[in-house]
Amino acid sequence: MPTVVLMDASLSMTRPVSLEGSEEFQRKNLAVHGLTMLFEHMAMNYRLEFTALVAFSSLWELMVPFTRDYNALQEALSNLEDFDKTCLELALQGVSTIMQQEWGSACPCQLVLVTDGALGIGRGSLRHSLATLKQRGEDKKFPLPFPFPCKLYIMCISNAEELQTTDAMDNLEQLLILSGGEGQIFTMEGPLCLKSVQAMFGKLIEQAYMPFHAVLRCGHLTSDVQVFPRPEPVMIDEEVDPVPKHVLTELEIVGFIEIADIASPPVLSRHLVLPIAVNKEADEVGAGTTDEMEEDTSTNQMAGKSPNFCVLLHGSLKVEGMVALVQLGPDWYGMLYSQADSKKKSNLMMSLFEPGPEPLPWLGKVSQLGPISDAPENPYGEDDSKSPFPVQPKSKRSYAQNVTVWIKASGLQTDVQKILRNARKLPEKTQTFYKELNRLRKAALAFGFWELLKGVAELLERECTLLPDSAHPDAAFQLSHAAQQLKLASTGDSQYAAFEHNITPMLTDFSGGGGGSDRL
Amino acid sequence: MRMFSVSHKTVFVVDHCPYMTESSRQQIECDMLTKSRAQGVIPLAPVSKSLWTCAVECSMEYCRILYDIYPTRKLVNYIVSDSEFHILNSWRQEDQSVQELMTALAAVGPPNPREDPECCSILHGLVAAVESLCKITEYQHEARTALVDLADRVANRGRIICLTNAKSDTHVRMLEDCVLETIQEQNKLAAGSDRLMPIQQCELVLVHIYPQGDDTLVSDRPKKEISSVLSSEVHSVRAGRHLASKLNVLVQQHFDLASTTITNIPMKEEQHANTSANYDVELLHHRDAHMEFIKSGDLHMAGSTSRDSGLKETVTLKWCTPRTNSVELHYCTGAYRISPVEVNSRPSSCLTNFLLNGIFTFTPSEIIVISHMLSCHGGEIFLHMLNSTRSTLEDPPSISEGCGGRVTDYRITDFGEFMRENRLTPFADMSLDAAGRPPIERAKAQLERHTRYWPMIISQTTIFNMQAVVPLANLIVKDTMTEDDVLTCQKTVYNLVDMERKNDPLPISTVGSRGKGPKRDEQYRIMWNELETLVKTHVGTSERHQQVLECIIACRSKPPEEEERKKRGRKREDKEDKTEKNGKELEEKMWTQDSDRLKGAMEREKEDQSESEVIKDSPDSPEPFNKKPRLATEEIQPLEKSKGPVSLFSLWTNRITQANSRKHQEFAGRINSVNNKAELYQHLKDENGLVAFPCPVF
Repeated sequence: MPTVVLMDASLSMTRPVSLEGSEEFQRKNLAVHGLTMLFEHMAMNYRLEFTALVAFSSLWELMVPFTRDYNALQEALSNLEDFDKTCLELALQGVSTIMQQEWGSACPCQLVLVTDGALGIGRGSLRHSLATLKQRGEDKKFPLPFPFPCKLYIMCISNAEELQTTDAMDNLEQLLILSGGEGQIFTMEGPLCLKSVQAMFGKLIEQAYMPFHAVLRCGHLTSDVQVFPRPEPVMIDEEVDPVPKHVLTELEIVGFIEIADIASPPVLSRHLVLPIAVNKEADEVGAGTTDEMEEDTSTNQMAGKSPNFCVLLHGSLKVEGMVALVQLGPDWYGMLYSQADSKKKSNLMMSLFEPGPEPLPWLGKVSQLGPISDAPENPYGEDDSKSPFPVQPKSKRSYAQNVTVWIKASGLQTDVQKILRNARKLPEKTQTFYKELNRLRKAALAFGFWELLKGVAELLERECTLLPDSAHPDAAFQLSHAAQQLKLASTGDSQYAAFEHNITPMLTDFSGGGGGSDRL
Repeated sequence: MRMFSVSHKTVFVVDHCPYMTESSRQQIECDMLTKSRAQGVIPLAPVSKSLWTCAVECSMEYCRILYDIYPTRKLVNYIVSDSEFHILNSWRQEDQSVQELMTALAAVGPPNPREDPECCSILHGLVAAVESLCKITEYQHEARTALVDLADRVANRGRIICLTNAKSDTHVRMLEDCVLETIQEQNKLAAGSDRLMPIQQCELVLVHIYPQGDDTLVSDRPKKEISSVLSSEVHSVRAGRHLASKLNVLVQQHFDLASTTITNIPMKEEQHANTSANYDVELLHHRDAHMEFIKSGDLHMAGSTSRDSGLKETVTLKWCTPRTNSVELHYCTGAYRISPVEVNSRPSSCLTNFLLNGIFTFTPSEIIVISHMLSCHGGEIFLHMLNSTRSTLEDPPSISEGCGGRVTDYRITDFGEFMRENRLTPFADMSLDAAGRPPIERAKAQLERHTRYWPMIISQTTIFNMQAVVPLANLIVKDTMTEDDVLTCQKTVYNLVDMERKNDPLPISTVGSRGKGPKRDEQYRIMWNELETLVKTHVGTSERHQQVLECIIACRSKPPEEEERKKRGRKREDKEDKTEKNGKELEEKMWTQDSDRLKGAMEREKEDQSESEVIKDSPDSPEPFNKKPRLATEEIQPLEKSKGPVSLFSLWTNRITQANSRKHQEFAGRINSVNNKAELYQHLKDENGLVAFPCPVF
């Protein structure tokens, strides 16, 4: 989930913070201090996150495009200049553009807005933007909610009391609701100082940037892992089941399935599963990445040399072309597989399925999947030539059966022509002739289209009169028999118009001894 | 996302009154004469559908699309109304199919034109529809049972689609009022019942059908709230083609569907097998499959065109034949069932048949980006939405750079085999085992059993590198073992004993140890220990598992017991002769240091031969050494043969040998020898039993 840091660079941010007996700080200094703390934390514990830095006043500027280089972000932050007034709407517009250009419109994002709570005056102020919300045309819509899912964290370099003296707090709350309600407004507690800004950013880190650690388990084989990005809680049905589902910190493998059988399933999200070495002294853990930090290098080298289940699993999944089905919670599953980034690099990846007992129709209910050794015979065959998947649905879809639709005249015409074509090739085509005839009869009866039955009966009678002298004598018998049966059905007489009833070929002397019955 | 939205329950109320027999006046020419036969034949008069036929076939088409895309959880109740109401099916899932409804409709037949119009009314059907909406569906029941205290969270909403021929706008209002009244009445009734639920929200969709060429007596009206529970809309449509497209639009609105037209699909003509023409096929599916286009505002860029009424839009995607046949795991963000708009048109059925045969296809919207994929899973076709934007997970650290990444001897192949054995397979619903566990729990239990002892790297294990252990290793993890399984395990153990007797080399890893690694008897000791560890983890499973362990313990060499034996022997000797203490100590030292290897091998060999011999050879029954006949061979007397006290001569020779052996490197042959006899060219024997005699070079 990429992060955009939207930094208020308006003049009001340069307001000094009154501190007794120490050097004078601006609010901007506090903000930079807080962000530095955030960047340092991310560089240590969340370094795969892409972060962009946008500064705004009455205009906005992309200071650092999405990057994992936290030094670059830090540097841009320290070189930040001061500009004029605050105009949040334009800046949010900018964020929306930047995000979509880089990640498309489906990728969820985290927006960290750092401001002093002075949200501008007059045109372009947040107050003005919110007041005119409903009077806008399609082309000038307020940028929130974004087309992509977004968590909005508003970091106020100001305390709650100060914000409440104006309508700033109300406006920010409204902004949060507009963005979809996901996120939070943070304010500083107590006097504005380095300590309180640290506390505020500490809360943000705790809420949004704590690495997700879990134990990957396959029976007795286990590995400590970090799952990146953090799996987000999922709501299934807000009405019946309004509790968000969380991924458990124990990821249990329940079995294995071939890639061909799982067949590119739809997933909610994808995550890297990185093995980690849990350091017993501190809770801080390296995410198994290449390290720049020296002290980490030695521990990582050590960890690199002791066998890890993730690496074994990844290797075998890759070689065998399989995925591991993993349980994420009650009635919630996902899959582990090897994902190649390039020819050389590949990784253990986890995709989350939609929560529920049956995330993929072609697997059936996950709770009904069991070990092959329980089956009377190996469902994959002795030589892996078969597969028990996909699970067949109970009923066939319309396109998989020969349905009759006469919405368009051409549909009806084709069906009538088919019958006539076969009628002309009697008795060779007796079988197909009656099959098509019965299909038409059934549909006509269901649709209450008795007129059609009469019409086709007449057509068949005419065909009978048009038979050439060379025609097989059976043809005439079958045609008149079929015509008569259709006419009877068109009366609606329950004896002849029963839906399940089929017109069967007439047993004639010719068909009895000859070829006709053979083809039945 | 709401499970019990208005679309959970749909009631069709179709007018079956005499006026529905009226012709739609849309004529269909079904006698298409071929040119050659045209002479002299009077073509058949065209047929035309009645209003009833039009209503039925369009409603069936609505249901066909609905069932294709939502095989479960979206339910239809079909009611026809004349002098009374006829309910053609129930809310039950097994009643939900077009065939079911067609059968019931055939039984009803077209309206009877001679029936008294005064007795007939659509009202009977509408009242029945409201009653039906109050009836609980199996899904609602299931959800209520699951929630217990919060059962009232399960909502009851529904939609009534009424296909009728109304007389006027006033008539329409009368119908609406009647529905509202019935809802109020029924809700009171339902409040006091367990099997009924009050209706919270009902959408009434009145479709007024009139013959072509007539003027409509009823005006269209968009959706409006009549009360908090009831909203109503009126559509006034000409029968035939117009009605069909109206219901097609409605089914899309009601079930959040969208349309995709796949263009330029190459298809071969039967007549011209070597040329192919391009066709377009329109598919319906959940509109989320267009999410990416909708959100980015790219609907028009993706080739969306509005047609007909302007209500219906379709996104055009260009066909692109799959590039590879290899099995790949695509990053897919959604998969949606499809239904062709014209299911029995030739291009449609050609495409669906192609897909039903299991061939994947991609459909890119632009030239570069592949946005969707059509794929068939078990007779159902899905439109997969593929992710085409930049990944936030790009350039991740390779797995080889992380924990365990530097280890190179993972048992990848073995774990692959393990995964194959632990593949999953679907079982019939509610198939519990004796312990009441569902299949998935049994799968977990199996993984637990199979991994009780599972070393991850080759150099950590001996037994899993030995072909000879495979039968036992495969059987011991089973939940239940048969008598035959136990026998197989025992055979495996005997086989190992045999190997040990023959002193076959073991695939013990020399990684980490300098030189040649542990000596042969040490290797076997490691192997037996590991085997015991494996089997011990399963000993609690059953009596038979226990038997396998007992077999191993009985057959293997037992270093701990040897120690025990030595100690006992030492005590006894101490008692016997305290004066020769120094000599004894020297002897014992040599015994343990020099002859340990030989002794181990010999003893094991003897143990294999018979148990009685073991007793005879035990230090408790010492043989006087001087009575032993001296052999004239060069063979060194194995020390243990003479148990008890050792002769001065053997002490001396041993000492000399030991001193000499320090001065040179021992011959490999002698190290590996049994009874000082080394078998030559052993490795050749291992290769298909062929024995070759290479010429020695001097």
